[in-house]
Amino acid sequence: MRDLLRILVSPFVWLAAFSAVYGLHGILCEIDLGATFAGASWRRLSLAIAFSLAILVQVVLLMMLHSDRFGAAPGFSRAVSRASGWVGLVAVLWTLFPVLTTTTCG
Amino acid sequence: MAAVVSGCAGPLSTLDPGGPATRTIANLWWVMLLGAMAIFALVVALLALAFRSGRAPRTQVASERVWIVGLGLAFPAAVLLSLLAYGLWAGERLLPREAADVARVHAQAERWSWTFSYDDAPGRTTTDILHIPASRPVDVAITTTDVIHSFWVPRLAGKLDAIPGHVNVLRLEADVAGTYAGLSAEYSGPGYDRHSFTVIAHTPDSWRAFLEVDE
Amino acid sequence: MNALARHRRLTAIWSSNPGWKGWFSTVNHNDLGLMFLVTAFFYFLIGGVLAMLIRAQLATPRSAFAGPEIYGQLFTMHGVIMMFLFAIPAIEGLAIYLLPKMLGTRDMAYPRLTAYGYWCYFFGGAMLLVSLLFGIAPDSGWFMYPPLTGRIYSPGINTDFWLIGITFVEISAICAAVELTVSILRYRAPGMSLGRMPIFAWYILVVALMILTGFPPLILGSILLELERAFGMPFFQVELGGDSLLWQHLFWLFGHPEVYIIFLPAAGVISTILPVMSSTTLLGYRWVVAATVALAILSFGLWVHHMFTTGIPHMGLAFFSAASTLVAVPTAVQVFAWIGTMWKGTPRLLLPMLYILGFFVTFVIGGLTGVMVAVVPFDWQVHDTAFVTAHLHYVLFGGFVFPLLAGLYYWLPLATGRKRYFRLGQVAFALIFVGFHVTFLAMHWVGLMGQRRRISTYGPEDGWTAINLISSIGGFVLAFGLVIVLLEVVLNVIVRHRSLRNPWRSGTLEWATTMPAPAYNFASLPQVNSREPLWDDPNLPTRIARGEFYLGDPANGQRETLIVDIATGTPQQHVVYPNNTRLPICMAAVTGIFFLSILLKVFWLAPFAMVGVATLAMRWAWTLGSKKDLGDQPIGRGVLVPNIAEVDRPPGWWGSAFLLVANATLFGSLLFGYAFLWTIAPGWPPPFFVTPSALVLITAIIGMAAAVAGIGHAVSSNRRGAKPVAGLLIALAGIAALGVSLLAFLTMAPSPTSHAYGATLWVLGSYGLVHVLVAALMLVFLLLRQQAGYMSSQRRAELAVAPLWIGYLCVTTALILFCAYLPGMVA
Repeated sequence: MRDLLRILVSPFVWLAAFSAVYGLHGILCEIDLGATFAGASWRRLSLAIAFSLAILVQVVLLMMLHSDRFGAAPGFSRAVSRASGWVGLVAVLWTLFPVLTTTTCG
Repeated sequence: MAAVVSGCAGPLSTLDPGGPATRTIANLWWVMLLGAMAIFALVVALLALAFRSGRAPRTQVASERVWIVGLGLAFPAAVLLSLLAYGLWAGERLLPREAADVARVHAQAERWSWTFSYDDAPGRTTTDILHIPASRPVDVAITTTDVIHSFWVPRLAGKLDAIPGHVNVLRLEADVAGTYAGLSAEYSGPGYDRHSFTVIAHTPDSWRAFLEVDE
Repeated sequence: MNALARHRRLTAIWSSNPGWKGWFSTVNHNDLGLMFLVTAFFYFLIGGVLAMLIRAQLATPRSAFAGPEIYGQLFTMHGVIMMFLFAIPAIEGLAIYLLPKMLGTRDMAYPRLTAYGYWCYFFGGAMLLVSLLFGIAPDSGWFMYPPLTGRIYSPGINTDFWLIGITFVEISAICAAVELTVSILRYRAPGMSLGRMPIFAWYILVVALMILTGFPPLILGSILLELERAFGMPFFQVELGGDSLLWQHLFWLFGHPEVYIIFLPAAGVISTILPVMSSTTLLGYRWVVAATVALAILSFGLWVHHMFTTGIPHMGLAFFSAASTLVAVPTAVQVFAWIGTMWKGTPRLLLPMLYILGFFVTFVIGGLTGVMVAVVPFDWQVHDTAFVTAHLHYVLFGGFVFPLLAGLYYWLPLATGRKRYFRLGQVAFALIFVGFHVTFLAMHWVGLMGQRRRISTYGPEDGWTAINLISSIGGFVLAFGLVIVLLEVVLNVIVRHRSLRNPWRSGTLEWATTMPAPAYNFASLPQVNSREPLWDDPNLPTRIARGEFYLGDPANGQRETLIVDIATGTPQQHVVYPNNTRLPICMAAVTGIFFLSILLKVFWLAPFAMVGVATLAMRWAWTLGSKKDLGDQPIGRGVLVPNIAEVDRPPGWWGSAFLLVANATLFGSLLFGYAFLWTIAPGWPPPFFVTPSALVLITAIIGMAAAVAGIGHAVSSNRRGAKPVAGLLIALAGIAALGVSLLAFLTMAPSPTSHAYGATLWVLGSYGLVHVLVAALMLVFLLLRQQAGYMSSQRRAELAVAPLWIGYLCVTTALILFCAYLPGMVA
């Protein structure tokens, strides 16, 4: 069971982060704080912070999967869990970068 | 190519653009079609070559590097990220941004007709015919009084849904004055087939005349 | 005992009752897998006939063949039947039939549940079929968007058939998913570690987990829409605080994973057959497993790409556009792993290989157009046009039907023990391949030319006449090809032409059985040391039949198998299965009465049906277990393992855990719906928010404390050898307090029909009350079992399941009360 969790955890955390950022975006577009900070809108800043947190969590998970303490024993489970660790990190970068580039609520 | 493009003409053709929005999307389509055909040809060629006899056997590790890391990961990632960037750039260009010369109209759907009203002519409504000025951006505020419908003028812009309780704004623009066919594009029951409307794009003079007509 | 005597003895133990009557009491996966498949193909035929009627209608402009009302039923039922009554059950059938053989075991984890799932599918499908025969079938499109499907615009019973029939059929999908998960994780041949599992098992494991988390949003959506239609609870009515977009979110939260739930098993078929056809092993097994897991989880982050035209801000769309392009990467990994496999080996152009090539050509085109519609501006143009219809048929026919036909021809000898005699399969392939592409390739074009999906007719001035006629002709060629496949299967069953064992020279265990496979699969459960045990030891089938491995001695006359460790495959527990019984079909019939009572609005009958289901469920569980301690069981080769009655985590614990995963997803979807309405729906805030009540909260806290402490005390005292009765009674009192708390909460909630807020609170409270009832029934059952002598400090498995459900009840009750009171506290 533990090996299965190691394989599933990173993509699953991506799914949680992705849904959370989408939800946060929906809520931010419903409320208008109007404030800006250093040239960026309050909305974009909140989203960018959420994006950075998601990256951070994925990097930590990837490091854990590569460590001897938390990672799987050598063999099949180690190879697959590390690959899916990379999937999680790449997925966060690939799917959430629009918080930096596209129009927030238009 | 010219023959293909001429075959694209039609009152409801998405590939016969009548404005900047649909031109952007039609270009996107042609780029994607060429790319898709090239990738398809590659896959079929690789499949066919697998059947030729007398190939030298390869080691598994080398094969994994070529087939999975190269063709399975790097190749699609490069293609898809480029396409995604192109698509998002195109999408940004189509958004209803603030501009000085935007005309604002309202479209309200019901089973099975459309009622249009105009910010520039308060109190004025038309049924199943939408009047807009040509060569000017127009924002259509879309909603519905009953079920979900979708506002679609294939030659002028992509479609946008009319959803109860929500108002969605679609930017469209006609290059030249003329008549454009419009459709409702979300299934709405037995009258769906004939749920359509017409867009008339006016020259500046005739647009002024339309707005000033007293009913 | 020689091999033949062992075979006779095992057959006597395992076989179903003779004749057609045996179908009603069989619990054997060999029978039920084939029953699922035959029923699914029957619906494939019906769905195909509907497709032909659709194509007949569209063949010419201004066609008067079917009016718009009938046409609405045709395209709706075509989609509904193909998705829910063909594709998903066919996958379940294939997996149920093949997996125990591939995994080297004798049956699925819960044989009676397999049968119950089948009969729920049978009765639920029959309801939809009846609606079609009487011309009152669902007619609003297979994704059923309200308000069109609400009471005002669809007053007839048509929509209710969809909501109730499909929910009934979904029960079978959830049952199958629970037992496929547990079977793959725990019911394998000794020595089959995770890395040695046949690749098909990985795919099905992933798909089963996807069903557990993908179907509950749809089940919730169907419940909410039926509550709106039957009782006026306005979840989707914007005037009363609902929002029709909520349905779209819930539907596509299910609907997108559904596409991959259909594709991945087919990909598993390809990954299994293609290496055999190429006389080699799959290239990059680990990569393919990782890609499958990635694909599965990514597919849950795509749902909004069905909603690109609903007016969501561009950034929101951008997330889903990006995710939709990303999901193509793991798909590409698999496609190139397969082509690489062909390059690694020497591909043979046998019949299954032809269908696999058909898959490649078709599915790659479908994938490429899929990437196109993932690009937001292009989707704004082609959404709801024939382009999308063409795309989805390329993906589903290419990605599911072609692989399924490859699998049909590949495994047919295993199921029938016969060889093909007439060479009809090649002819059929040519017709299907050509017919399919003629039908659907041009449909992309007509979509770009502005033809909307779901129109019943068009005018000659639209310029679509020629394309539609060609498309219809192609459709009939395709249908002819499929009829030839059917003919060949029938001939194969009739004509006696015995096949050799393992005709494709495959390495996986399903080919180690005799052909057709006997009811018990394996006379002894083999020790597995690699992914291709038949290539390691060509003599393996004989050694299995001689009983050289585990459980080779059928002396005690019971249906036995083994549970192994998840990671390593070391034998851990000894399982004795129940025998043939009509309990599953009876329980499915009573479940059907419950659904019928809602459908026909005979609401007084519903509680009786529920009592019936609960009684049968208790009877179901009562037949398990033992009244005396068994001690460790010898399973052969000098190994002793405990029986499942004498462990901490018996199969029931695992099944409950995964069922609760599905249940928690349903609950999570409900909370999502609540949050969505609160933040997005235009008609909020409601007239007033409820404020926290001390009575409700204090009773709930006392109830939770008593329930948790009571069941904990019961488990520990039973382990010490003392009677668990006191603990069970305390837990029961706690559950009762929770029930009181939730009832008090509901009496203070606003009316469920005046605003979506009140309606949501009622659903939340009722959800808690249903679980109060379940937990209470479990405790009463345990008290009865204790009295009857089924528990001892050894036989502790009885007490394993209830703590899970009680814990779940406590957590959900806490969440229900917190979420219900949150808006009032914020405001």
